[in-house]
Amino acid sequence: MNHKRSSWAWFWQAVTGIALLLLLGLHTVAHHFVAAGGLRDFQQVIEYLSNPIIVVLEIAFLICVTTHALLGVRSILFDLGLSARTERRITVGLSVVGIVTALYGFWLTYTVIYTGSSSTAFLPK
Amino acid sequence: MNLSLPENKRLRFLRWFDFRSGRLGMIAYILNRVTAIGLVVYLYLHLAVLSILAGGPAQWDAFVQIARSPLFLTLDVILLAGILIHGLNGLRIALTGFGVGVRGQKPLFVAFMLVAAVALIAGALKIFAG
Repeated sequence: MNHKRSSWAWFWQAVTGIALLLLLGLHTVAHHFVAAGGLRDFQQVIEYLSNPIIVVLEIAFLICVTTHALLGVRSILFDLGLSARTERRITVGLSVVGIVTALYGFWLTYTVIYTGSSSTAFLPK
Repeated sequence: MNLSLPENKRLRFLRWFDFRSGRLGMIAYILNRVTAIGLVVYLYLHLAVLSILAGGPAQWDAFVQIARSPLFLTLDVILLAGILIHGLNGLRIALTGFGVGVRGQKPLFVAFMLVAAVALIAGALKIFAG
């Protein structure tokens, strides 16, 4: 294993982990503790995402949680005593998974906001 | 009967599940790994479930009714336990990794787990109170 890369992976896992304490705290409280019944209905989700600061924080949360999770999976897989070549493949594979996950999250956020803005257009003022 | 775990490096992850040593450091390590795997599985399940939002209000609101059932609330409490244990144990690892509180990491672990237990009880009461 390349120790320089390994220490960078550890550093980013620690940084995203500390960021997650705040972002996950916000996400959990906002979605599961503040909302009546423990979960927002569709209209409440749209209202929540109508604030651009919230959208930025949710996107930051998505990037941090995906990075942290996949670096964690990488670390666990590297515990299996794999060859350097296999470790490189794992790093590339997990990077692709991370990019796809982030793109899915962006698409879903955009779709929900777009669907919400078009559906609320038919609601009485 | 031989109860020792394999020395083979490809199988050494089996030690994660070996609580017999009873050492606090090992227990903290095992808790970190096991909760990590659970949270990664949950993350991707959560992202998959959120795709229901793309179906519009009818589909999402029907799901919300199911998600407010006692079974789902119990799963929420288990999730909260995983987040608290992994988050606070991870904070201890990050602090000691950056050279903070290295000498006191065992009491720090115990203190963080007590905080996790109190927060879990408060969170569970809130989850079931609605």
